[in-house]
Amino acid sequence: MIEVSEESEMTENTEELEVKERLKLIETMISEGRRTTESWGWTFVLWGVAYYVAIAWSILGHNSWAWVITMAATWLLMMAIIWRKTKRQTEKKPPTRAGRSITAIWTAMGISMMMLFPAMGLSGRFTPQMFVAVAGAMLGTAHATSGMILKWKAQMASAVVWWAASAIACFANNTQCTIVFLLATFFSQIVFGIYAMICDARRNKQEASHA
Amino acid sequence: MPELPELNPVIHGKLRLALLSLLVGVDEAEFTWLRAKTGSTDGNLGAQLLKLEEAGYLAVEKKFVQRKPQSIYRITEAGRAALAEYVQALKQLLGGAI
Repeated sequence: MIEVSEESEMTENTEELEVKERLKLIETMISEGRRTTESWGWTFVLWGVAYYVAIAWSILGHNSWAWVITMAATWLLMMAIIWRKTKRQTEKKPPTRAGRSITAIWTAMGISMMMLFPAMGLSGRFTPQMFVAVAGAMLGTAHATSGMILKWKAQMASAVVWWAASAIACFANNTQCTIVFLLATFFSQIVFGIYAMICDARRNKQEASHA
Repeated sequence: MPELPELNPVIHGKLRLALLSLLVGVDEAEFTWLRAKTGSTDGNLGAQLLKLEEAGYLAVEKKFVQRKPQSIYRITEAGRAALAEYVQALKQLLGGAI
């Protein structure tokens, strides 16, 4: 009798372990699939540095085309890096709904900026206050949407910084506006981008050690 | 005594379960990516994918990209539903019956 009971208990434990193992397998594989979103940390750093270059060039060089040229050159450079990275990839990462959504948000925001700011400049209605307020609101929205999709608090924090910069710009003079923009760029683009790159590197290292 | 839920035998195979779980998180995936993620051999992977395809849980698209053959797999609605039912059954087993 005891033997039967022990055997039955053992079978139950084995079955429980088997079920738990299967649930764990499902969970691991689903997160493995979702973890295929491309690494984009470097783009935040690139655009952050580009904003600094454009500001420095426009102030020190007194060049009204500084922003247009720097932004166009940065876009071309980004495309070239993406093309090179894609070509080098040995294993093509599958597209995910989250990845597509995030790409759509940033692409739409980029197009909006490329359309709006040169038009504002050409029409003579460009002011530093309006630029920082609009750019800050757009960047805040894009960061927040991405952060919500990825459930990433660091990106939500970047959104808050941009939103704050956008609101402050409405009350600031030209110099204060530039300082606010430089600070927001530093924290929400450069620092956040470097942090994202560190997270990617850590994840890749972990994946390599698991393989 | 509550009746134990039956586990879908098509999904119950570990590799097939891993494949469906991988595909539920992505839009579509190439054969080579699935092979890398599961660490299985070409033959075994092909056979298991075929079983899932025959059950209507996967859809496959075969094409040539730069003269190289490429098989792209997608999970179907039936596949999603079957995986959800399977997970539910496992939870039920874990929750009360075992």
